[in-house]
Amino acid sequence: MGLRSFIESIRGPGVVGQNAGRRELTTIIVLMSLLVLAFFALGWRCVYLQYSRGDYYAGRCMDQQLAYVPLEPQRGAILDCRGRVLAASNHFRTVFAEPRIIREPRDASNRLAAALDMPAHEICKSIMESRNQGYVPIKVGASAGECEAVRPIQGIGIQYGWQRYYPTGPLTSHVVGFTSVDNRGLAGVEFGYDRELQGQGATNTFFVDVHRRPIAFCLQGEQDNYLPINGAGILLTLDATIQQFAREELMSQYKAYEAQGAVAIVVDVKTGEILAMVSLPDFDPADARRTDPDHFYNRVLTDQYEPGSIIKPVVAAIALDTTVLGRYETIFCENGHYHGKGFGTISEYKQGFGDLTVKEIIAKSSNIGMAKIGQRLGPTRLYEGLTLFGFGRQVGVGLPGEAEGQLSPTKDWTGYSVTRIPFGQEISVTAMQMVRAFCMLANGGRLVRPYIIKAVVQSDGTTVDMRPAVPQLGYVIKPEVAKWIVTQAMTAVVEEGTGTKAKLKEWHVFGKSGTAQLAKPGGRGYEEKAYMASFIAGAPAEDPRVLVLVSIRRPNVALKKGYTGGTVAAPVAAAVLHKTLRYLEGARPTPAAHPTPATAVPTSYTPDDDLSW
Amino acid sequence: MGSRLGLVLVIFFFAATLIVSVFLRDSDRRVFYTLRQYKIEQGRLQQELWQKQLRVESLINPASISHHRGK
Repeated sequence: MGLRSFIESIRGPGVVGQNAGRRELTTIIVLMSLLVLAFFALGWRCVYLQYSRGDYYAGRCMDQQLAYVPLEPQRGAILDCRGRVLAASNHFRTVFAEPRIIREPRDASNRLAAALDMPAHEICKSIMESRNQGYVPIKVGASAGECEAVRPIQGIGIQYGWQRYYPTGPLTSHVVGFTSVDNRGLAGVEFGYDRELQGQGATNTFFVDVHRRPIAFCLQGEQDNYLPINGAGILLTLDATIQQFAREELMSQYKAYEAQGAVAIVVDVKTGEILAMVSLPDFDPADARRTDPDHFYNRVLTDQYEPGSIIKPVVAAIALDTTVLGRYETIFCENGHYHGKGFGTISEYKQGFGDLTVKEIIAKSSNIGMAKIGQRLGPTRLYEGLTLFGFGRQVGVGLPGEAEGQLSPTKDWTGYSVTRIPFGQEISVTAMQMVRAFCMLANGGRLVRPYIIKAVVQSDGTTVDMRPAVPQLGYVIKPEVAKWIVTQAMTAVVEEGTGTKAKLKEWHVFGKSGTAQLAKPGGRGYEEKAYMASFIAGAPAEDPRVLVLVSIRRPNVALKKGYTGGTVAAPVAAAVLHKTLRYLEGARPTPAAHPTPATAVPTSYTPDDDLSW
Repeated sequence: MGSRLGLVLVIFFFAATLIVSVFLRDSDRRVFYTLRQYKIEQGRLQQELWQKQLRVESLINPASISHHRGK
């Protein structure tokens, strides 16, 4: 049936005239075309909305229907070697009001006041006068009970967050570090292991009603992702008790000498575990934002300084190991004044000396004796020896910001270098590098790598051992040489040399003092009356267990109490050593009545005997 | 008569299947919510315990003991 016959069937065949029928037909065709066009337009719009803008509108639709609640993971804890908490995160609750949906602020304030034990008028004032109609904090750090009590009040919410606690306060501040407001590590282990400590957050999705109240939990595929994965815990080698011994003793001397800074390190000689690491001035990590930024420096790792006499046993060990020098051979120390072409003038600290053996050179800390040993070694052997002991490169203890120190290559050495480096000038080191070198000496010449991160414990309980692998290279120097340096030369320092203040009744202590002048910042030469007083000590000498390094920067010379390592640093090292050995189980005291027998100098000296170990 | 009874049984069986499936679906969700509720409660209790442990740690750590002994 055609369109015309269709119209005629409606209107009747007699009524429709020829012209009228054509007009109506045209009208209908136009209308139908418009209708078809309209449908095409609608269809096109549908296609456009579905395919071009589909994701956008689906997203908006989901935004209306769903609410997303991000869940922050708990940041991992940092523990000492005995499991004591040094840093940890805990829930932190804030009770807040949403003024735009509180109908009766006075009533809400009265109920809040009763639950939170706060003045009602203050709550009411903060709710009514707030510019932000969506969020007014009422009580920061509310207890769980208070939160339960305020939960039914309309327009009151509870915001959860994590707050970092540092139960030991400044005790381990430089090692542990601190975090920012948004729980990001900014220093120390907090910064170095931020990724491990952070954990992984999760987001919970809810279907919500028109008032954004959750109706049902929306599971989107992976159901396991609705809970966050907490951060890993970091287990340190540090022992908070030994750290306290070190800090207490160091702080007392730091204050007594009005020093600019001070460091103390305690290391287990056999394993390289760092038992204590103190840097002064320190800070409270919980109040880091109000701390002078200069206090953030961990001087153990960042301060580079000329070590002074403390390096002498290391150079002497290199000389003995390379057989350029014999144990009983004497060196003429020029009665305190050594001058030569190409290396200027070298003098002693106090009095001059005549003939000295290596042991006496170390015990009396003779600069001239060491300069002559340096000359015998020559630049190549001296440089290689010091490199083997780890100078000029990072120790890699596991903390950020470690300096490398400076040991220039031999091509940059002047005539002065070979005579100055042996007594600790023209070389800059960090306290940690000195500790590593002496650990090697005390450990019979074996390589030791000090470290502070013992393990990383994941939130599911799996543990990643972080202890460094035992170095493949066996010995840096001969074990006999190392043992002789420790048990003979360095014990002589404590028994009769410059470190008598480090002597202990119960144990045989080996040690070495160092008093280095501080270099002028940005210029040549040394500052007047500015010293770094250091002392390194270990015990028991016959089987070393613990090594302590104490360095006190710029003790106030005007106090006239002394400024040398033997005076300022040695008593601290001795006290820390004594307390640590008594604290550690298995450190058997050496009876004072039976000291280690000193190796007697043979009556008839022959170079061959002297060089054989 | 027989075919009508059969139809009633089919409808009954169909309705019962629907009810059971709805019930199972609901149970699944209910169990999930209960589990989640307990996990949250467990987390809350753990946090309370942790908070107490931290308080103890701040009292018995070597620095604190030394400080109190000094006083």
